[in-house]
Amino acid sequence: MNASLDNSRGNTTVNVLLGVVVIVMLFLLPKFVESTYALHIMILIFINIVMGSSWNILGGYTGQYSVGHSAYFGMGAYTTMMLMQFRQIPPWYGLWAGMLAALVIALIIGSICFRLRGPYFVLASIAVAEIFRVSALNLKDVTNGAEGILITEIPPLTIGGTVITDFASKVPFYYTGLVFVLLIILATWLVQHSKLGYFFQAIREDQDAAHSLGINLTIYKNAALGISAIFTSLAGSLYALYVGFIDPSTVLSLELSVSIVLICIIGGIGTIFGPVIGALVLVPLSEALRSNLIGESLISSGLVKAESTLGHFLTENLSHAHVLIYGVLVVVVILFMPDGVLGFFKALAAKKRKEAA
Amino acid sequence: MNIFVQSLISGILIGGVYALIGIGLTIIFGVMRVINFAHGDLLMIGMYGTYYLFTLFNIDPFVSIVITIPLMFLYGAFLQKFFINRVLGALPQNQILLTIGMGLVMSNAVMLAFTSDYKILSTTYSSSSVSILGISISSPLVISFIITAAITAALYWFLMKTNTGQAIRATAQDREAAQLMGINVKRMSIIAFGLGASLAGTAGALISPTYYIFPQVGSTFTLKAFVITVLGGMGSIVGATLGGILIGVAESLGGAYIGSGWKEVVVFVLFLLVLLFKPSGLMGKSNA
Amino acid sequence: MKKIVLAAVALTLAVPGISRAEKVKIGFVNSITGPEAPIGENLTNGVTLALEDLKKKGIDVELIKEDDTGKPEKSMAAFEKMATRDKVAGIVGPYSSKCANAVAKLAEKYKTPLLIPVASKEEITRQHLKWTFRLSATTYDYATILLDMATTLGKPKTIAIINENTDFGTSGAKSAKDYAGKKGIRIVAEEAYAPGSPDYRSTLSKIKSKNPDLVFMVSYVADAILLMRQSREIGITPQAFLGAGAGFATVAFAKEKDISSNVFSSTQWTGDVNWPGAKDFDKRYQAKFGKEPTYHAATAYESMMIMAETAAKTGANQEKLRAALKSGQWNGIMGEVRFADYEGYTNQNKHQMLVEQIQNGVHETVYPPKYVSKKPVYPFPGWKK
Repeated sequence: MNASLDNSRGNTTVNVLLGVVVIVMLFLLPKFVESTYALHIMILIFINIVMGSSWNILGGYTGQYSVGHSAYFGMGAYTTMMLMQFRQIPPWYGLWAGMLAALVIALIIGSICFRLRGPYFVLASIAVAEIFRVSALNLKDVTNGAEGILITEIPPLTIGGTVITDFASKVPFYYTGLVFVLLIILATWLVQHSKLGYFFQAIREDQDAAHSLGINLTIYKNAALGISAIFTSLAGSLYALYVGFIDPSTVLSLELSVSIVLICIIGGIGTIFGPVIGALVLVPLSEALRSNLIGESLISSGLVKAESTLGHFLTENLSHAHVLIYGVLVVVVILFMPDGVLGFFKALAAKKRKEAA
Repeated sequence: MNIFVQSLISGILIGGVYALIGIGLTIIFGVMRVINFAHGDLLMIGMYGTYYLFTLFNIDPFVSIVITIPLMFLYGAFLQKFFINRVLGALPQNQILLTIGMGLVMSNAVMLAFTSDYKILSTTYSSSSVSILGISISSPLVISFIITAAITAALYWFLMKTNTGQAIRATAQDREAAQLMGINVKRMSIIAFGLGASLAGTAGALISPTYYIFPQVGSTFTLKAFVITVLGGMGSIVGATLGGILIGVAESLGGAYIGSGWKEVVVFVLFLLVLLFKPSGLMGKSNA
Repeated sequence: MKKIVLAAVALTLAVPGISRAEKVKIGFVNSITGPEAPIGENLTNGVTLALEDLKKKGIDVELIKEDDTGKPEKSMAAFEKMATRDKVAGIVGPYSSKCANAVAKLAEKYKTPLLIPVASKEEITRQHLKWTFRLSATTYDYATILLDMATTLGKPKTIAIINENTDFGTSGAKSAKDYAGKKGIRIVAEEAYAPGSPDYRSTLSKIKSKNPDLVFMVSYVADAILLMRQSREIGITPQAFLGAGAGFATVAFAKEKDISSNVFSSTQWTGDVNWPGAKDFDKRYQAKFGKEPTYHAATAYESMMIMAETAAKTGANQEKLRAALKSGQWNGIMGEVRFADYEGYTNQNKHQMLVEQIQNGVHETVYPPKYVSKKPVYPFPGWKK
């Protein structure tokens, strides 16, 4: 794992080859994996990677810690769903409308909030997202309010009369998610290796210095937010179509904004694969905790008897405690892996190399 | 007219409690520049403390703050010493996530211990009111408003007149300079977080007789505390007091004249306007 | 990275549960943590009692319990896991409407019968889903029974509607508005509030100024108490306070005699109703959990009984189980249950709603006349000083 991530050391050919192998395997996965439960988890991981990586462009590369990204997620989800349910516009067009809507509000929000810095920016981003949530709740005629929007049917995707997919299984969502993931990783790579990326990072390191070097703060911060918002809205649209139901408390909540940030922090911010790692750690972890997989597998493997006190504790109490455990893990990671999992392992690898040398 | 006066008065009274929550947050932010996302959860812990003191030992909620204040201070100091102090130099988003994680731990630990049932603290005066010229005024709210005022005054005196208070203010103004002047900055941070926690806990105690208690109650108040703090100017106690009352009134009048559903929007728009036109807040020094 | 993916997949695929042939495997999705947890707990308790009773009847249930934390995508994950990995016969749950909605479609896909105990959003059973069954009445029924009662007992002309701005709240208010229109009652105020606010006084003073004959409220537990406390403070005196289920039907609310006396609430179930076993369930529940059961607990109990008993007869064959649920008839603590197709609904139990009124701190069933335990007090006699 370290080899593929350690791209600073060169060895590019190997990395590219490895990347291609991983991508091909991921594309072939649904052919071999029968379990829809596994596919479900994979789709959630994809959505989380897209969410995290989009935030990463603004938060990780440009250093603007938005805790209001649910606004763009919700914008994508709502635009796509509203167009589909109320105007019968198929979601593959709705997606674009969602991205456009997210871009427009991003520029408006950006022009307001980017005048603020540090903790003030954080709080302003929360406030804006809350305004969107409460508005979506109250504009009942437009958004159906708290009752949310329920998909009755996704129209089948046809090209030239042949049905490509009817969205009946998880596979089309899986591939859509995978393509989105590749897109956002490509976008992040392009940003990191372009002039834009250098400007972003200059702003992150020192806004005033960047400004005095002639970098237009407003333009580049908004550019970062725009890219970030577009991809976040994609994640939102995909979530909405996949789950089939949205309401303000699921797609516009502060909790969602926080979880987006969490993916990046846990993985490691300002790197291409940080959010990927974050999603790969967090989604299976929270699912394992939620479904009490740990307790169950301890029991079924025979290590702990189901009837024993410990077994009883594992099945009865642990299932109530999963959010608690999750919280403890967050605290532990922040205290002991301040640069995220990726940063932690990089540092570890660097230390080993030093010892070896 | 009647509706206006009624809304105004209840807005001011409820604003007193908001102010207390905001002051706690503003002290923590002022001294450490850390946004405490677990602030509402501290309030929740104060509420549970008050509830059990009342149901088990029959101590009146308004009297129990004598116990709540020191206990919450110790709890806050503990959190600061063993957790927050470790991330003071870290990136701001790490600090935020640490407090979020701590909040999750607190609310879920309470849920495991006391179940997620709603707890209602019912005193004989919970729904009593006095009627003046057709305006009804809630008695418990009046009492809590008076207590809030007294606590704020005492706190102000402490920060202005005592040595420790001045050291805290110095730390808030310039951490490094304070350190150079020989102030034990870590200790001041511990005291500040203790103060913040005990104020949040007190607000929880004061609101208990007229409100309800459950493990996730904190989040609404965390958001409110943010708004109040920014509105008043981060780090300013007078500002937080004014901010709290302003939010109480804005919610109340917004509820009466724009609609209950939109009253939160009124608050957030107000918040954004202040951020835009006076980012340092109503009473803040312009160091944003 | 790849290794983690594979590990994650492997972890989810491997470790099949131990299979014991004679047991009936039933899944139960519920909100155990998260914002819906206070109500979810009642469902858990109801199911716990059901398992005891099933054991007495010689039906050994292997329960797969999953938490959805109140989020639809987690509910889906739970369902997928139970349907594909645990291979349960049928699933009871989830609690909230949004989760039930998301899961209903999965039931169709995996051909695993789903019995929804209490989520009341109308649309759930209006999608012609063959594998989704619902025991409880719909949100519309919460409003209609109350207005039916009010128009039988008095001649209300105006109504004010206060609801919390949530799914249940808004759809309840919508139904009330619709049905009030049909009954010729004029709507003078409509207020949707965000739950969790400590101060509703301004909203209530506005309502007081409109002087409505009926005040119709949809709120959860705690807000119900707050609204009534502050109504008393402000001095609102309509002909009747009508509470649509949820908060007004709880014990905590009834105990607050000063403010809860004479308030009506619509409910799916009461502890003193003369449905078979209801009173006994009420007693046993109180003995075991130290509090009165809510209708959520009763619906969860009955759903689990129906699902497990039927599954015990049909075995693991889910097509048979579905057919048996469709054709079956039960008469338990929720009264007569039959999953019928009517008025656009599919597999919907036409459940008889009840109205209860708080008299002396106790919920008494007061409407419809067939189930009455006490006479209703109407109009509202005013606040006790």
